[in-house]
Amino acid sequence: MSNFAQKHRGWTRAQVALAFFVLTAAIACGLAIYSSASSLIGLSRTAFSVLFLPLLLSLVLAFLLDPLVTLLEKLCMRTGSIFIVYILALGLASLAVLWLTPHWREFWNNMGADFPRYTAQVIVALKKVIAALHDRFPMIAEFDFPGKVRIWMEQLMSAILAETPQSALKIGGLLVIVPLFTFFFLRDGRSILRACVALAPNRHFEMVRDLSYLVSRQLSHFVRGRIIEAIIVGLVVAVGLSFTDIRYAPMLGIFAGVTNLIPYIGPIIGMVPGILIAFVDLGVGGQFWWIVILYILIAQVLIDNFILIPILISRVSNLHPLLVFFAIIVGGKFYGIIGMIIGVPILSVIKIALLEIRTYRRTFRLPESSLEGERPH
Amino acid sequence: MDPLWQNIFRKKLNEESLAFFLKNLPIFSELSPRALQILEGIVHVRSYKANEPIFEEGDPGSGMYMIRSGTVKIFAGGQDNAENELALLAQGDFFGETTLTAPAPRSASARTLEGTELVGLFRADILELAEKYPAVSSSIFLGLTRVVSERLQAASLEIRRLRKQLGEPSAPENIET
Repeated sequence: MSNFAQKHRGWTRAQVALAFFVLTAAIACGLAIYSSASSLIGLSRTAFSVLFLPLLLSLVLAFLLDPLVTLLEKLCMRTGSIFIVYILALGLASLAVLWLTPHWREFWNNMGADFPRYTAQVIVALKKVIAALHDRFPMIAEFDFPGKVRIWMEQLMSAILAETPQSALKIGGLLVIVPLFTFFFLRDGRSILRACVALAPNRHFEMVRDLSYLVSRQLSHFVRGRIIEAIIVGLVVAVGLSFTDIRYAPMLGIFAGVTNLIPYIGPIIGMVPGILIAFVDLGVGGQFWWIVILYILIAQVLIDNFILIPILISRVSNLHPLLVFFAIIVGGKFYGIIGMIIGVPILSVIKIALLEIRTYRRTFRLPESSLEGERPH
Repeated sequence: MDPLWQNIFRKKLNEESLAFFLKNLPIFSELSPRALQILEGIVHVRSYKANEPIFEEGDPGSGMYMIRSGTVKIFAGGQDNAENELALLAQGDFFGETTLTAPAPRSASARTLEGTELVGLFRADILELAEKYPAVSSSIFLGLTRVVSERLQAASLEIRRLRKQLGEPSAPENIET
């Protein structure tokens, strides 16, 4: 080693040792920084995943309540009007809870007993279908379809039972966090947006301000429209079902409303439990067909497609069905059922933002190009 | 400064405030104190370095700028090689007000000549204001209309004068006077 050191322009042993230590220290530092950086990324990812749902819910709620707050703001200060809206919302929520509580209790008491019954009925029906099919296509005999369905249903039930205490805790946390976040979004939303816009460099500031206005206006229309649509569809289903002898009418209404947020697939998923319960409890008869007509014709075709969508939602936010499926699959991969529900709206939001930017650019390019005569048409 | 003596200088601080600056502009001279306070909340204060472009001809225009300090050069012809200076603006002047209500490309370029502080008022903010405080926004629009029509009047008089200078017979009167 000393030979080598001396050959190379008189590096002494001490210098070689020093170089060795410096290199080792550098590598160690690099590794430490790298590992801490990756743990930092991990930390921020955890923080994001924890904050994602409450932030999203409170943003949606803020979009929903903002017009009301702005309306009241003409009478008093913004903070005061937010409090008034909160008190009103609290009143409505407690009324809803009062209305739901008996059903809720009944729901939980019966759920444990009813679910296996429904499964059993469905399996019996499936067996009939399979037997009928078997007569025509003998080769499917080996495939134990009803057995698979039973296992799958049992898994679903046990998952729901196991998740319930956990999700109850989560929902309790959300009930505290979401109103708090919403309050600040409502009160300071504009100044938060202003602060974000102010970060833009001077040269692009004007355009960023304009685009932020256009995009946020479109967004609030879209979010408000979807939520109001879901609430109305849910209400129509709940009221329509309560005319029949079906159980869990309010729960089914809420389910139909929530799933209605997903285009194309949502309404179908939303009507499955209602039609299943109707099929098992009421049998195929007048009430069953009323429920089917309610779900498909009244709630979906009449109320949603003919009345709500043309009024509330612009065609701009329409997504290609293929994109809808992508959003649902990817959303489900990331955040489970909640991801499936919010995946499509988030994609629509991105599409709205991109479209706004494009129309904005086009608006300003046309007069310019006509001046310069670049595009002879 | 001794904190004890700060109150004595409050008047001076007020004169440095944004509301005071806005109040002294011809557009906003007739606004009430409350309207000024609201206006203060929607304008954007931006600081520019020397020789920084503010906007260029053909850019999407969406608002007006008021000069709080510094100097701004308005010029046509785009690039530096053939600049045709149209105006040199100083503190208290404003420009770009024609695009505040009607979206249009900028008809000239603007650039700072020294370190400049500008106060921007943009269409998006005015539109948001119009939804929330219609009375305040209408008084702002009134001031804006007054200033724009004064400028239009001056411009049409100037056109008439130039026509006369050229010896043209005065064309059919289609300019608002």
